Amino acid sequence: MWSYVARKLLYNIPVYLGIVLLLMVALRVNDPVSSMMGKNKSQEDMLAMKESLGLARPLLEQYFDVLRFDLNVMSWKNQGLTVKQMFMDSIKPSLSITLPALTLTSIISISIALISAFFRGRRIDRILMVLAVIGMSVSFLVYIIFGQYYGAYLLTKETSWDLFAIGGYESGIENWSYYCLLPVLISTLVAVGYDTRFYRAVMVEESGRDYIITAKAKGATKTKVMFVHMLKNAMIPIITRIMTTLPFLIMGSLLLEVYFNIPGMGRVLYKAIQEQDFPVVQSFVTIFAAIFILSNILTDVLYALVDPRVRLS
Amino acid sequence: MTNLAARLLGPLALLGALLLPLTGGCGGANASNSVGKTFTFPIRGAGPGSMDPVRGSTTYDNQAVCHVYETLLQYKYLIEPVELEPLLCEAMPEISEDRLVYTFKLKRGVLFHDNECFEGGKGREMVAEDVIYSWKRMADKDVDTKSWWLLEETIRGFDEWRSSQNAAQTFDYDSNFEGLVALDSHTVQVTLTEPIQRFLYVLAMFQTSIVPREAVEMYGTGFPRNPVGTGPFIMDPDDWITSKSLDFSRNPNYRDEFYPNEWGPAEEAAGLHLAAGQKLPIVDHVRINCYAQDQPMWLEFRTGKLDYAQIPAENFLDAIRKRTKKLTKEYREEGITYHQVPLLDFIFRGFNMDDDLVGGYGEKQKKLRQAISLAMDLAEFNNTFYNGQNIVYDGMIPPGLDGHPDGHFCDAGYTGPNLDRARVLLKEAGYPNGEGLPVIDYYTSLSGNSAEQSEMMARQLNKIGVLLNPILLEFPQLIDAIDKRQARIFSFAWGSDYPDGENNLALFYGPNESPGSNHYNYKNDEYDALYESIRSMPPSPERSAIYAKMRDMVLEDVAFIGGMARTRNYLGTRWIRNFKPSENFWNWSKYIDIDESARRNN
Repeated sequence: MWSYVARKLLYNIPVYLGIVLLLMVALRVNDPVSSMMGKNKSQEDMLAMKESLGLARPLLEQYFDVLRFDLNVMSWKNQGLTVKQMFMDSIKPSLSITLPALTLTSIISISIALISAFFRGRRIDRILMVLAVIGMSVSFLVYIIFGQYYGAYLLTKETSWDLFAIGGYESGIENWSYYCLLPVLISTLVAVGYDTRFYRAVMVEESGRDYIITAKAKGATKTKVMFVHMLKNAMIPIITRIMTTLPFLIMGSLLLEVYFNIPGMGRVLYKAIQEQDFPVVQSFVTIFAAIFILSNILTDVLYALVDPRVRLS
Repeated sequence: MTNLAARLLGPLALLGALLLPLTGGCGGANASNSVGKTFTFPIRGAGPGSMDPVRGSTTYDNQAVCHVYETLLQYKYLIEPVELEPLLCEAMPEISEDRLVYTFKLKRGVLFHDNECFEGGKGREMVAEDVIYSWKRMADKDVDTKSWWLLEETIRGFDEWRSSQNAAQTFDYDSNFEGLVALDSHTVQVTLTEPIQRFLYVLAMFQTSIVPREAVEMYGTGFPRNPVGTGPFIMDPDDWITSKSLDFSRNPNYRDEFYPNEWGPAEEAAGLHLAAGQKLPIVDHVRINCYAQDQPMWLEFRTGKLDYAQIPAENFLDAIRKRTKKLTKEYREEGITYHQVPLLDFIFRGFNMDDDLVGGYGEKQKKLRQAISLAMDLAEFNNTFYNGQNIVYDGMIPPGLDGHPDGHFCDAGYTGPNLDRARVLLKEAGYPNGEGLPVIDYYTSLSGNSAEQSEMMARQLNKIGVLLNPILLEFPQLIDAIDKRQARIFSFAWGSDYPDGENNLALFYGPNESPGSNHYNYKNDEYDALYESIRSMPPSPERSAIYAKMRDMVLEDVAFIGGMARTRNYLGTRWIRNFKPSENFWNWSKYIDIDESARRNN
């Protein structure tokens, strides 16, 4: 397995180098110093600034600089903060939303999928699938705006039950439900529709396999077939789906963080792109690309651990 | 089934653990952070990027910095039109007869905030050397260069000193030059290169705030996150959550400063004079919340979690009757107050005068621009996108400033709509009904309702046969295209840095061409000579006449279409007191009072 991991890492190095190169070129198409220096800049000041920031050097030299992964570079727009500090400060708020949301979504959608597959073709299955389609057909933004309006604003205004914050974030478990629960529920509501349909399809496919017929022939109850034999074998696509979402956990949810004023990774990166905070965009994207590649490799490895039929070669 | 139950128990336990935090934290988390009065207000945007005055440049930086730092001068809170008064000075400076030498007597007993950068952690007294050090930082390229333009070519010997220091290996803050000297511990003397009129306004701008050298040297690159000033509030670095919020607390060592005892009739009528003589700051805490989107800001204001808010465009008609411009009944009954704040604003569509199609100074090129300007109906923009609250005017000098035309319009302007005249001029330019004229690229920002505004502009110009191709860009890309002179016509806005028309006239001064503030790349030797003469002229009828002449020169050449000045709409809660919002300066949190009992009864 370790040789497989090493080989996969080696294969992905050129991919990663290519991503970094593309990123660097994209960031330099428009002069990043021009907007950074504001409205009263002179050509001379811009040149001096480029030199002091190392942007006047040859691209190749800058490229090797980026590959050194020096996260102690200063943000241009959040002065006094290094990229590393920004990363560390924003990862916790993001995970406070995305991790519970993923857990809740997975538990709920797998449970509904199992129920749906168990009652396949019957009324309850059809109702659940219609609800899932409705759920996934509505825009994320609509859920956020309505959730914020009714769940936080109107509830507080009409009942004085200040259960959910309209926006904001405070660290600490005692503040979690006030600031994070509503975004988590909205995120879950959106994702459950998609995931339920996917997991149901997986369960239905599994239900037609030979081992299910064998289990039934041996007299296993329908419940045991569903929840013991079938669920275990359906774990591969379930794990794949969950693993592919892992990088997004760290990247945060842009819309939720922007609307709920949560200082997470998505919002930090969004703001950095808007303001052309060059060092932040460059460092964050190089980190995200690395996380993405590593999680793909990890998914392959987990296949082998979950399913003995899969051999890593 | 027992097995099944056991298997389901795991996920259920996990779910339970996940929801466990539900049992606590409801409601109390967003409450004011500690005892006393808390003033909470929003910033519509990402918030400040720096608490180092010299590195700041945005309104957000200004809004945050002025809680902690102070300048030598400030604007009078209750006087309109704006007027300067001393803040860190004992009195307004003594000015020599030739208006070249300014002598500032600093207040005694002004202490910097207690901070570990000082001996024993106790803030020391601010002295003249702090003023000199703070301004010298504006010249240091290793610090930043964004604020240098404020003092460039202003103080005798400063530019030369700056060049030599930046060329040397180390920037020597202890070396001196003739134009900036400390006569004694509390007296600073400044000698100007010429009697520059804007100088005193610059000393009320937050970038010229006074910082202690000890803090800059101790915190180094971390200084923008560790503010140490003389201001009415202090800020712990941990209380600044980037892009989310900033919390300030009353400075316990703040000197005896009092609510103003000078006001205008409108301020008296609004009861703003009732707090006269109260010690500042009045509130104990200030919290700034940053909002990337308007909806959460608006909803928090409506639930009483913000003490004031600007009305977002989409909520305008919820709060204000369009015809009467008065509060709706619901808002009136809640005790909400409405405040209109006109901005020193210049919204325009600029022409790149270097462009081979729409630029140039020949008769044909001029007529093409005149035709385009006459085809535009800015009143329609105002009514459609700004609830009719903007002021459309001729020229670049906003209402309220010297040089703004009486009645907002003047003979030299080509303000439309006048389609007949536009068609005649277009024909004279060589493009009858737009024939032979290529589609013109129009660069504008992607934000807000720019797309809709572009559509309206294209429709209006199409009436005379001019075809427009809107190119919508993120703001940094828009700036870049303008700086590189790629944008033929571009949309932009300029907020005056200080209340003098000279600031707006500088936008057309040749040496300021792109990437400087002359985005139009307008060049006119006569105009440049006039601009150089007004820089040192005090307000006078003669200066007003030159302002008008310069305005009309640019209007005749039609370097831009416009202008327009916005009005901001602010709402205050029932419990906010002494509230007189202004966007010309931002240090008015110290005057605000909060009636906490009224807030609690909300």
